[in-house]
Amino acid sequence: MTLTHYAFSSSYFMSFLGLIFYRKHLLSALLCLEAMMLILFISLCLWGLILASTVFSAGPMILLAFSACEASAGLALLVAMARTHGTDRLKNLSLLRC
Amino acid sequence: MHFTTMILSSSLLTVFLILTLPILGTLNPNPTKSQWAKENVKTAVKTAFFVSLIPLFIFINEGLEVIMTNWEWMNTLMFNINISLKFDLYSVVFTPVALYVTWSILEFASWYMHNDPNMNRFFKYLLIFLIAMIILVTANNMFQLFIGWEGVGIMSFLLIGWWSGRADANTAALQAVAYNRVGDIGLILAMAWMAVNLNSWEMQQLFSLTASHDLTLPLLGLVLAATGKSAQFGLHPWLPSAMEGPTPVSALLHSSTMVVAGIFLLVRLSPMMENNPLVLSICLCLGALTTVFTATCALTQNDIKKIIAFSTSSQLGLMMVTIGLNQPYLAFLHICTHAFFKAMLFLCSGSIIHSLNDEQDIGKMGGLHQLLPLTSSCLTIGSLALTGTPFLAGFFSKDAIIEALSTSYLNAWALVLTLLATSFTAIYSLRVVFFVSMGHPRFNSLSPINENNPSVMNPLKRLAWGSILAGLLITTNITPMKPLVMTMPLTLKLAALTVTITGLLTALELASLTSQQFKTKPLPTTHHFSNMLGYFPSVIHRLIPKANLVLGQLVANQTIDQTWLEKTGPKMMTSINLPLISSTSNLQQGVIKTYFLMFFFTMILAILTLV
Repeated sequence: MTLTHYAFSSSYFMSFLGLIFYRKHLLSALLCLEAMMLILFISLCLWGLILASTVFSAGPMILLAFSACEASAGLALLVAMARTHGTDRLKNLSLLRC
Repeated sequence: MHFTTMILSSSLLTVFLILTLPILGTLNPNPTKSQWAKENVKTAVKTAFFVSLIPLFIFINEGLEVIMTNWEWMNTLMFNINISLKFDLYSVVFTPVALYVTWSILEFASWYMHNDPNMNRFFKYLLIFLIAMIILVTANNMFQLFIGWEGVGIMSFLLIGWWSGRADANTAALQAVAYNRVGDIGLILAMAWMAVNLNSWEMQQLFSLTASHDLTLPLLGLVLAATGKSAQFGLHPWLPSAMEGPTPVSALLHSSTMVVAGIFLLVRLSPMMENNPLVLSICLCLGALTTVFTATCALTQNDIKKIIAFSTSSQLGLMMVTIGLNQPYLAFLHICTHAFFKAMLFLCSGSIIHSLNDEQDIGKMGGLHQLLPLTSSCLTIGSLALTGTPFLAGFFSKDAIIEALSTSYLNAWALVLTLLATSFTAIYSLRVVFFVSMGHPRFNSLSPINENNPSVMNPLKRLAWGSILAGLLITTNITPMKPLVMTMPLTLKLAALTVTITGLLTALELASLTSQQFKTKPLPTTHHFSNMLGYFPSVIHRLIPKANLVLGQLVANQTIDQTWLEKTGPKMMTSINLPLISSTSNLQQGVIKTYFLMFFFTMILAILTLV
């Protein structure tokens, strides 16, 4: 595996770990999700450039559009949570549970 | 760059980063939380241990060794000093061992020092010590090694004198610094000679120029450095005095890590020593003298920590003997296995001392096998591993060393002394176990004896597993550098075992003499046989009914009641199912993180099966 492969795989994996193992704020999970999208965007761009093919040229833009949709959905959830619970801390959801 | 090389070097740099981060975290002006030590430092060392397993497994799988030269520090026309890290067999194997032992010791220290107001500073010192030790171990040039060397020396001074209100502790710390400094003169002499004559401090260049120079002077300097740091005879008194420090300090510095720095230096630079018979003989004789002298001193000590300290000194002498035999790999193997059981012995003694309300005299302990079963079992396991019981950790290294010693064409006097010291090891180990855990209690009755705290018991259990398995794991996975002599006469093969058993039996005999009284007048025994009717009624009328009754009690009480009905019968179902039930119901609370965790496991499985 080349250096590029290793760099992208490991940074994607790190962001994934950051998404899964976030502690307090839901916002940090959303940030990691954004980081994953960014890495995918860069790797799609580089993939098209390295293979010198024009077929995949539109790929990054489509990914960007979908990423924007997903980010807005995540933020809407965050805002809804902030409206009902006051913060976006995850522990607030289960405070009144025994 | 090749994939596995990148993984190995980045993992080891990650280890450095993980260990340095808590130290950098103390630079902020906000006061640290009271749980900082336990949360940040211990988890940092634990994480670093797990990360350092990756290079270990890569090394075992592929035999990959990496030398990284990172930064050019000072470069003149003729002489370069770089930051250069060498990850070969020695550092890749030693780093996980040191981190495992340190993790256990830090967890123990969070219990032992929990009502010390400066506990956070204590943990910070231990962490700085650990970083200096890893710098020493991974150094590829003498300058970096010297940085690590001085670092461990300074932290040793600060940690021995931790309870600085006590005059003995200050004296001991000063002794440690003074004796280490004398050794440092040797190291600086060697470094200066190398800078002038060999034009470099990088180890690769040093090893390639050894054939063309007479290396006696720098090698003598290195032996002096090892004598100072590893407490060989002549510069040895600082090690027993260093027991004035807290028990975690004794366990980490003065048993597993710092004192092996001198031996490690000689192991690292062993290609320079291979062809110099004078220096090898000096190492051999010095090591033999050290091991027998300190083992003799350990025979009649009364303080439990001093006995273990002298035991450490004796094992260091044994390592020096191995270097004198031109077997650096065996010395390194002994370093690794010794770290486990010696740290465990110190942790057991710390647990005992704390339970008996700071009593350190073994004459005032006793009967702890019933009261502290886990601790005394671990003490026994550690002592057995120390004496070289077959197939525990110490056996693989110690027996290999004594076999190499017996089959070599070197000094027979050194062999005799080493065998004598091996039997002494058995004697003082039995003495510790006998006075601490056997017999009747000799301490005050209101001591807080308990084994309730998992911060103490988990490190002991972990180190016990290490003491049992470490020797086997290391020898089966890593091939030695030199072929060992495998054929020898049966007496020589069993020499170590024979002298150990002899020592054990002697010690048992001597220990049982403490509870007997010599008769003032010998009794005539000739007519006793017929007087007592040939002992027939007294044996048959007492022995057989007693055996029957005991068997009945055993069957009814232990076998049926305790074993079948409680452990393996109905109660086993409850005791196994209850944790399962509670953990399952805890998992299914509906918390988002659980779902993420399952997602993570699925991803890992998918990656592992697809790649």
